[in-house]
Amino acid sequence: MSSIAAPGERGRSRALPSSLVWGGIVVGAIALLAIIGPWIAPYDPDAFSVRVRLQPPSAAHWFGTDEFGRDVFSRVLAGAHYSLGMGFGATALSLVLGIPLGLIAAFDRGWLSEAIMRAVDVLISVPPILLGLLVLAVTEPALWKTIVAVGLVYVPIMTRIVRAVGLGLLAEDFVQAARARGESAAWILAAEILPNAWPPIIVETALRITFAILLGSALSFLGLGAQPPASEWGLMIAESRPFIEQAPWIGLAPGLCLCVLLIAINLLGEGLRELLDPRLRGRG
Amino acid sequence: MASYIARRLLAVLGVLWAMTLLIFGIVHLLPGNVAYMILGEYATAEAVATLEARLGLNDPLWLQYWRWFSGLLGGDFGRSLVMDRPAGPLIADALAHSAILAGISIVLVAIIGIALGIHSAVHKGTLSDRVLTLAQYFFIAVPEFFWCILLILLFAAWLGWLPATGYTPIGEGGVLRWATHLILPVFTLVSGLIAHVSRLTRSSMIETLESGYVLAARARGVPEGRVLRRHALPNALLPTVTVLAVDVGILIGGIVVVETVFAYPGLGRLLIFAIENHDLPLLMAGMMVVTTVYAVANLVADILYAFLNPRIRYGRAAA
Amino acid sequence: MADPGQAGKGPLLDLRGLSVSYATGRGQLAALQAISLAIPRGGAMGLVGESGSGKSSVVLAILGLLGEGATVAADAARFDGEDLFANAASLRGRRIGVVFQDPSAALNPALTIGSQIAEPLVLHKGMSQSEADARTIALLAEVGLPRAETVARAYPHQLSGGMKQRAVIAGALACEPDLLLLDEPTTALDVTVEAQILDLLEGLRARRGLSLLLVSHNLGIVDRLCDDLTVLYAGRVVEQGAATTLLDIPAHPYTRGLMGALPRADKGRIGRLVPIPGGLPDLTKPDPGCNFRTRCAFVEPPCSAPQALVSPPGEEATGRLARCRRAGEELAWPVPPLPERTVRGEGETLLEANALSRSFALGGWLGRVSFAGGRPHLAPQAVVRAVDGVSLVVRKGEVLGLVGESGCGKTTLGRLVLRLIESDGGTLRFAGETVPQRPGAGFRRRAQIVFQNPDSSLNPRKTVAEIIRRPVTLFGIARGAAADEEVDRLLTLVRLSPAYRGRYPHQLSGGEKQRIGIARALASQPDFLVCDEAVSALDVSVQAAVLNLLDDLRDRLGVAYLFISHDIGVIAHVADRIAVMYRGGVVEEGPAAAILSPPYHPYTEALLSAVPLVGARGRAASRIRLAGDVSSPSGAGGCRFAHRCPRRIGPVCDEVAPPVIEPVPGHRIACHLPPETLAAMPPALGAA
Repeated sequence: MSSIAAPGERGRSRALPSSLVWGGIVVGAIALLAIIGPWIAPYDPDAFSVRVRLQPPSAAHWFGTDEFGRDVFSRVLAGAHYSLGMGFGATALSLVLGIPLGLIAAFDRGWLSEAIMRAVDVLISVPPILLGLLVLAVTEPALWKTIVAVGLVYVPIMTRIVRAVGLGLLAEDFVQAARARGESAAWILAAEILPNAWPPIIVETALRITFAILLGSALSFLGLGAQPPASEWGLMIAESRPFIEQAPWIGLAPGLCLCVLLIAINLLGEGLRELLDPRLRGRG
Repeated sequence: MASYIARRLLAVLGVLWAMTLLIFGIVHLLPGNVAYMILGEYATAEAVATLEARLGLNDPLWLQYWRWFSGLLGGDFGRSLVMDRPAGPLIADALAHSAILAGISIVLVAIIGIALGIHSAVHKGTLSDRVLTLAQYFFIAVPEFFWCILLILLFAAWLGWLPATGYTPIGEGGVLRWATHLILPVFTLVSGLIAHVSRLTRSSMIETLESGYVLAARARGVPEGRVLRRHALPNALLPTVTVLAVDVGILIGGIVVVETVFAYPGLGRLLIFAIENHDLPLLMAGMMVVTTVYAVANLVADILYAFLNPRIRYGRAAA
Repeated sequence: MADPGQAGKGPLLDLRGLSVSYATGRGQLAALQAISLAIPRGGAMGLVGESGSGKSSVVLAILGLLGEGATVAADAARFDGEDLFANAASLRGRRIGVVFQDPSAALNPALTIGSQIAEPLVLHKGMSQSEADARTIALLAEVGLPRAETVARAYPHQLSGGMKQRAVIAGALACEPDLLLLDEPTTALDVTVEAQILDLLEGLRARRGLSLLLVSHNLGIVDRLCDDLTVLYAGRVVEQGAATTLLDIPAHPYTRGLMGALPRADKGRIGRLVPIPGGLPDLTKPDPGCNFRTRCAFVEPPCSAPQALVSPPGEEATGRLARCRRAGEELAWPVPPLPERTVRGEGETLLEANALSRSFALGGWLGRVSFAGGRPHLAPQAVVRAVDGVSLVVRKGEVLGLVGESGCGKTTLGRLVLRLIESDGGTLRFAGETVPQRPGAGFRRRAQIVFQNPDSSLNPRKTVAEIIRRPVTLFGIARGAAADEEVDRLLTLVRLSPAYRGRYPHQLSGGEKQRIGIARALASQPDFLVCDEAVSALDVSVQAAVLNLLDDLRDRLGVAYLFISHDIGVIAHVADRIAVMYRGGVVEEGPAAAILSPPYHPYTEALLSAVPLVGARGRAASRIRLAGDVSSPSGAGGCRFAHRCPRRIGPVCDEVAPPVIEPVPGHRIACHLPPETLAAMPPALGAA
């Protein structure tokens, strides 16, 4: 048959957004440092050394020393995993709970969906930090509790987003086509919905990680997260306050690291959005 | 419109009632003995028994909840254990101080954020837009508590221009001294939020400027300045109103941190005080008040949104 | 036509060698390549082209509103003798008015209708606000809006689409422009509303001596309003001339192809349409030769040389121009042969719907809380009866065309007969068996669906092979290597090469996506397909190929279709029988030929007479026009069309359900009018 169409050249390759590349490199570098930190740290981050108290940055102590003579560089290095753990751990928790709840709310047309969404309405009406404070106020502070509290705070937001994405996809014709074939709900979920739901969820996740790190370190700063002598960056900044005039480097070093990490994750999220958001993506 | 507001009000009341359940539930249902939590783990049995009797902790939970809830309805916020005074006046005093911080901040955020966002959108792609976009990245990423440290270091420790911490009522030190204590906290609170609001206003304004009705207005020969003010702005600000309400939530978080660092006698510091001293009645009352403030802020935003949007202000009644 | 008192003697608008290009990621995209057109004073020029032809860029270029990424160049661009581009800012809104495609987008949702119309009066005419308000109301009345004062105070969301477009036209006329630019002015509207707007424009042109530039993809409406036509293809003018001669005997192969590809309501079934193969050329690398030659049936080696826009031999005097070296020749596009039909439509009943109904609730429970009357209470749930007791039959191998305007419930009905949404009432039988609300695999395999929107109908994360293979394996038609062969067979069936197997949907054109959607539906070897506006999103040249494909499949495989469309031309072309739907109910049903000629249901009559036909200028006399639109209020219990019916008898129409008249067996009309009156109706599509 001569009228059969053959595919034309429509191949395309898109360069990765530069924000994604740079954000990814910095986050990757910080993650790497967090992993290999214990091996490359010049000093024991918790070792007191009274002779070198409050020393300014030098060749021996790159970021100086604190009031107990601990090496700030080693402590900052050892603290990276707290921030990353808080950001990724809390966000993972909000995903683990938020995705199923959001999908149920999108799929179910009955009381279950109604109940979930009303609960979400209530929880979303509480300023995030209050929910965290409330949970931490009634138990003894500990880092894992902070992670759980921050994760729980973001469950309702994640539920809402996943539900909106799910509802949008359910209205797509290819889902209707699957229903017209009599596919099971599980198959539709696994093969039609989820592969298309990931992009917006991933973009949102990147955003949540930033917020989780901010909230988690703020709680640690307030004394409701990691406990001394942990070298969590928020806690380090809080502990540096009495020495702010004498030895500003104790607080500046972890603070600047925190800023770099947050900017990098923001860039990463922005790059992911550029890469994955269909509204920003040219077709064909 | 009246029906719409009434419906929103009803929803807010429902949410607040659910919040009483949530706050009470978290405090009383989480594992752990409330009396031990307040008194510490080395408390004597008699002390625990006395406290339990005083707080009515041996009563059934529903009765405890009812006592607290009916008290709230009647304006009785309970008694602070540590200060041994009614929580109501304590909270009212702190709330007034916080309201000054929050009020100044939200007004600045709205005005500066919107102005910068519009400037960026109108001058999209120019040098000033790029500089602003870069600045937004930076300001959004810096945590409030680190801002506090930086500002204290710069303006109080090194330059010595402003007091690092504390608060002076207007009556004691005059307006100027009162204001100097507010500058650093307010700056800390607004920097990130201005970045957030301007970024959102920028994208919503750009989207509006690409809309069909802006093209139609230009095609009618409407001058560009009027296109911006009259045709684009009212529509572009709708999403901003919603975001301002969300930002009140972030602002509350910032206030807790900022008041603690700057030793400012507001509600945020009172909450941290209650947590540190295990003053549960004070904590529960404070939480309820903050939640109510946030809910009211959202209600105001909803009403403002409806007012700006004729689709809600007027129903669909066909002409 | 020309007013000798005016400043210039030449044409009102004169564009010569206008080029527009856009900066894109792949380089400069040449949207318009040296196009020329002239509109005389009082003249009307139609600018015709498919998507991607660059026709909307012409409008924006004239207004000087192309935006930052665009580069404009022209040998000459004059408006009334003056430089158009230098004066664009002072011309737009004053001497050039414009009406865009979508009135919902063109009106600012935050401002009242009146303030948007009055604005240029105050700005350009120096009127006071009260003068401008009075003039606004006069303008709204002039464009046929009843209760103009109320409309002026209304916000856009409170008006229907047709009313909005009238208001936009009133705004474009406010400063009494000399030239009105119309960019697809009726594309977003229903056909009966479109007819009202076209009448309005025709009247305005006659009354005010306006010059028009009408941009459209629809040859029918261009033919109705315009004296001259310009046909654009991929940024170039391929043909230009008087509308009558150009459409009667097109000279350029592209125009000829378009005319042959158009399904026409007045022609009924005309066998196969002319499919124009291929798609638009890459505009970032404009072909110096004829840019249509890769799709042209008459291509010869010299076509790769640049072609000039010149008069065909013997037509120098008419001013007609065509960009083709073979323009003077007698060229006929090859039409695909008609295969033998395996199953005739008179066969046994396949699908039988009996009084199917479905209502939808509006809003959630919190929205029902009302404070009307001072006390809070729950208002009764607002309900839309989307489908209201519809009965219909589809026989084996038959195409039942379901036609109706937006919101009439035709899509809901299509989903109901597939049990994709549950019905509130009525029964459904398929192949003699009752279909439950949750049917089993047997029904699912035999009854499938093709969707309207090619972008939404394919899962973007799956390859073509995965999309088509799933139903093949799911219904046990083939497994393993045999399933792969089946995928290839299905691709060939929809005339795509098996090389498409590994492609993702975003790598396909609209027509290709639609073929994949058809292949997926056919993969389970169904005997019934619901085609829900299956060709509506496609350009005419692509639509013809897909319609031919669907025709062939019906004839060769004997598949029965419920073919849903708002386009009467498409329905007339494809259907054996037609059902006409209005507000959730079928008002008329019967063999295609019986529906397309009298006697009609009054709604069918109005619908058919609203269709803009090509080459039917004398039809104006017999036009039936409906007042208002579907959303106008109506009473309950009576005829669902009574509130708009031009042949309404009296209260009986509002209160009593109409009886069913059967002029010939199988042709049913639900109407109170006596059969004699119905039979005496004139043919709405012009002389039969």
